[in-house]
Amino acid sequence: MSSTAALIAFVSAVALSAILARVSKRRAEMVLGVFEALVGIPTTVIGLFVYMLLYPRGPLGFMGLLYTPTAIIIGQFFVALPMAFTSMFRSFYDLRGNVRELVLSLGCSEKCVNKVLLRELTPVLTSAYLLAFSRAIGELGVALIVGGGIEGYTNVLTTAIALRTSLGDYELAIQIGLILLALTISLALMLKVFGERVLWK
Amino acid sequence: MEVELIDVWHSYDGFTYALKNVNLEFKSSGIHLLIGPNGSGKTTLLKVLSLVIKPSRGRVIVGGMDFWGLNERERSVLRRSVVYVHERPILVRGSVRYNLELGLRLRGAEVNEDLLEHYIARYGLRDVGDRPVSKLSAGQAKLVSIIRGLLLKPQLLALDEPFTFLDSTRASLLAEDLMEVARSDRIVVVATHYMHKGLSSYCKRVVELVNGEVTLHEEVR
Repeated sequence: MSSTAALIAFVSAVALSAILARVSKRRAEMVLGVFEALVGIPTTVIGLFVYMLLYPRGPLGFMGLLYTPTAIIIGQFFVALPMAFTSMFRSFYDLRGNVRELVLSLGCSEKCVNKVLLRELTPVLTSAYLLAFSRAIGELGVALIVGGGIEGYTNVLTTAIALRTSLGDYELAIQIGLILLALTISLALMLKVFGERVLWK
Repeated sequence: MEVELIDVWHSYDGFTYALKNVNLEFKSSGIHLLIGPNGSGKTTLLKVLSLVIKPSRGRVIVGGMDFWGLNERERSVLRRSVVYVHERPILVRGSVRYNLELGLRLRGAEVNEDLLEHYIARYGLRDVGDRPVSKLSAGQAKLVSIIRGLLLKPQLLALDEPFTFLDSTRASLLAEDLMEVARSDRIVVVATHYMHKGLSSYCKRVVELVNGEVTLHEEVR
């Protein structure tokens, strides 16, 4: 669920960055400022917002998504998006200008800009995805409010830790915590190594 | 290959002009020298001439066609004839060799290995060929940027302060190479404060810019 939410947030952040890279820096900075403010927003607030959207009498209530994995993905998407966007946008904006100028100075067409830019941005994009994933997998508010922590259905690692702790089953809570930690760190290492390899191709 | 600037004005912020009413023709092969104090508009002029930036006003005529009035596909074809070498090299992540081949790769052209090796050896980059560009000195980075331009064999080669960061040996080698390019019926435009002796004696024309305006336009040879 978290990787899906992080992936959707990451792709949306890339698309948003690509669009905003074409507007004036002042306007882009304004949008960036809004997203920077959203980075620190408590996940319970986002959970509440998504709950209001999805609860039976809410605007999207007819879809019957509340307390489903999809609801968690939607919520975690909103949690991860500001993190993904703010961590990539400034590099995206500055590098795009440089790369465009380089490509044109070499007598190549505008079409080549994105190709070079993508390669140049690999480490930044890797970090952006990682941050989005870390934020999504580590959040509790959304998973609890719109997922409900239903065993075997919407019970994610963080809600499982909360549940086990409340039941006094500390040993299992610590084990799940360690799994969460191992998952995050190993994914970070894998993506970093992969990113470095891509650069030297 | 002919490039003509007609009544060119350019402003980055919409208020102050880096270029004012510039009218210049680059029609004959040879070395054209662009001089002027800091902030006089030399770099902007080179970028406009190299089709990197669109001027705020005026026309850039390339091969008889108004370049900025063409569609992107037509522009791409004309762009292949012009290369601009930045004063501060823009290099991408990767090895020296990767950067040297970048222009050719982007154009989908074959890399002339013999020519590439010739330049690598000539400018003493053999030992650093496989190193990441982040490990290069300022002079080496500059050389990579210049060789990358030379490998593309453009009809018009514009260089911004090409001798900056280079030692006297490599500056002389570069001057020889630029003269060779000019001899092969191509246009070389050099913006510089420091002019290499050999190159200045070979110079065809001097254009001076002050506050974005052409104040001197003189055929030397």
